[in-house]
Amino acid sequence: MFRKIYTLFAVVLIAAFALAACAPQTVIETVEVEKTVEVEKIVEVEKTVEVEKIVEVTPTAPPQAEGGKELIVWWSHWANEPAKKAMVEKVVADYEAEHPNVDIVLTWWDKNPLKDAIRSTMTAGGEGAPDLVYFENELEWVQAGWMVDLADALPWDNFDPMAKLDGTYPDQGYPGIYKFNISKVTNMLFYNKEIFAELGITVPENYQFTQAEFLEVVKRCSAAGYAGVADAIGNRPYPGVWPVQYALFSLVGPQEFDLYNAGKKAWDTPEARAALEYSVALRDAGLWPESFSTMTIDEFHVYFHTQRKACMLYIPTWYTGRAFKAQADGGQDPNWHFGMLRYPAMDGGKANDLVWAGTESGFGILSTTKHEATAKDILAYLAQPKYGALWTAVTNSPSMIKYDVAADWPDNDTLTALNVVPGQWDWYWEEYNKVYGGLELGIAPTARCGGFNDVVTSVLNEGLPQNLVSVDEAIEALNGALCQ
Amino acid sequence: MFFRKPAQQQQRNRWIPIAIFIGPVMVYYLAFMIYPFFATIYYSFNTITPVQGALTTSFVGLKNYISLFNDKVFLLSVKNTLIWSVVGPALEMTTALTLAFLIYFKVPLHRFYRTAWFTPLLVSGVIVGLVFRWIFNNEWGLLNASLRAVGLEGWALNWLGRRDTPLMVVIFVHYWATFGYSMVLLLAGLSAIPEELLDAAKVDGASLLQTVMRIMIPMLWPTFITVLILSFIGKMRAFHVVWALTGGGPMHFTETVATYVQKRAFGWSTLDLGYPSAMAVLWFGVVMLGVGLINRWLKHRVEY
Repeated sequence: MFRKIYTLFAVVLIAAFALAACAPQTVIETVEVEKTVEVEKIVEVEKTVEVEKIVEVTPTAPPQAEGGKELIVWWSHWANEPAKKAMVEKVVADYEAEHPNVDIVLTWWDKNPLKDAIRSTMTAGGEGAPDLVYFENELEWVQAGWMVDLADALPWDNFDPMAKLDGTYPDQGYPGIYKFNISKVTNMLFYNKEIFAELGITVPENYQFTQAEFLEVVKRCSAAGYAGVADAIGNRPYPGVWPVQYALFSLVGPQEFDLYNAGKKAWDTPEARAALEYSVALRDAGLWPESFSTMTIDEFHVYFHTQRKACMLYIPTWYTGRAFKAQADGGQDPNWHFGMLRYPAMDGGKANDLVWAGTESGFGILSTTKHEATAKDILAYLAQPKYGALWTAVTNSPSMIKYDVAADWPDNDTLTALNVVPGQWDWYWEEYNKVYGGLELGIAPTARCGGFNDVVTSVLNEGLPQNLVSVDEAIEALNGALCQ
Repeated sequence: MFFRKPAQQQQRNRWIPIAIFIGPVMVYYLAFMIYPFFATIYYSFNTITPVQGALTTSFVGLKNYISLFNDKVFLLSVKNTLIWSVVGPALEMTTALTLAFLIYFKVPLHRFYRTAWFTPLLVSGVIVGLVFRWIFNNEWGLLNASLRAVGLEGWALNWLGRRDTPLMVVIFVHYWATFGYSMVLLLAGLSAIPEELLDAAKVDGASLLQTVMRIMIPMLWPTFITVLILSFIGKMRAFHVVWALTGGGPMHFTETVATYVQKRAFGWSTLDLGYPSAMAVLWFGVVMLGVGLINRWLKHRVEY
């Protein structure tokens, strides 16, 4: 009797396991169903059949397209950046409308979990991996053969020439281009106009302090109870490095800076030492906020634009992703206009008139895709000038895709549909063009080997700004970890 | 008519439900515990390198293990973890034992204390880390704000941005989050001591202190050793709180072996799992050795 009860219980248990195994698939299909309902009511019946079939036959299969459509799975980061999400979703919707035989499933991730998931799926043979994926500068993915070469897949004439310089590794034996760069990054320096006025700090006509003047500005801010800059390292491995990088870039120019930055050149040179010592002088003058060690990237944005506890902010153009959103979500007041500065002119600097530019993370295609042609077609579609304009209009970040404002700029209806208030951030662009508009950009990608990257993080991002290490010790550590 | 089934068939029938019950667990255990364990050992003797579009596994013998002893960050993480595994359990066991006795002897509000002291354990390690990052914020954190409010400005430190305090902070936060578990286990051990023994002691005229020292603690000793070992293992594998609170920084001053393994495995711009596997295997050996030593030193003291 008891045996029968046990057996019955076990059968129920196994059935429960089986049902549980089916559960995720059902969830994925629910998303598909909702999309179908929006488009066409007639598909209702097909929808039900599809769900049942999948649960029964392939409970662990990846998402399936409906009605024989070609399914493209796209994993993107920017989960916390609504403007970028809206822009990419608009492109996907446009592409699907023009290609009714293609169904694109977009999944938004945070960057680190996404990278872990890619490593896991690709090292396991690619089962469950997406077709299109976030890609920044993961050289090891290219070395492992995971990324498709896009050199012949994209209309490169549509891009800023800088696009082809990033996501390619000819010196490592990988001359292809593996990255679709959508965003062009300019590294900038903002200042709080009210605080500068309060402290009687006058911005030079060319928006550029000298090295000594900038140090004096920091001292005056600190004396008045403000941090020199708002940047902090609570959850990022790089804001503490910016003063060194800005100074070194100005001192040696982009090509040589790239060698230092990538761990290909020793740091025991007068220029590198000068940049490190200047960052120490800034630190001692009160550059960093008291919350430097714990404040997260979102928090230091708020510290600058809402709490207004710092005079300045080192920040790339992706500032807008966190700041130009609803104030209730941590965004800034659209009517609060900050100013922009060029980097301090370093004594004897070779590139004081250049702006350090780079790229943001973009997209690539995984080699395990069974839809390479379509995935390439989607990226080529995204490379249209109108989407370059849309990227800038919606995200307020410069686009790597060239466009003609007169012909390609989206109309107000399009922008409103994407939750953009036309003209709201015009002041930002006016300031940007005024300060950086006429300057030449010097590109320096930031791909590094792991050991050097770790030392940059621990020594330059954490150690030097918090007086945990001396300049000599920093140089020794950096030189000891140079990439082979 | 009823017939007895042959013994062989009975034997077979008995195995069916056993297999049904144990089977899924065994499959899980083999797939997610045994296989990864042996795979880790295997990889620790290999290097995985991406070469011209393929991942190549090359046997390197003991090279990964030898490299560990030249890795300054690894050695620092070992030092940090060992400090933690001594200080942490000592702090935790002392507190947990004291509190377990307080609750056992039903001090006023003992029910509230039992819940309050156990509650931190219910909070995810990541959340604990994030909350304490706020508490220890140099500028507006609760701790420094309180110190400043009572005029102790000089004691308000940049707790997580110095050379000397971050590891102490991490040890404290982890202790705060986990001592309730040890307390509950010890309380269960105390509750299992037969009432007759305590009554007999009382009849014999033993004082409360004598009862505690001569009867209760010796009776509790096996439980104490078990809890101590669990606490020790917990410190040797500490990860979540560190990861959320400091990420191992600044400058690896709070790096533990677990966080460093994670960094080397997933955050090092490499696909080589060989080196982090060697770390994991070596550390597994150290943990086993530590557990063995604790057992050896303390077990013989179990006397009734």
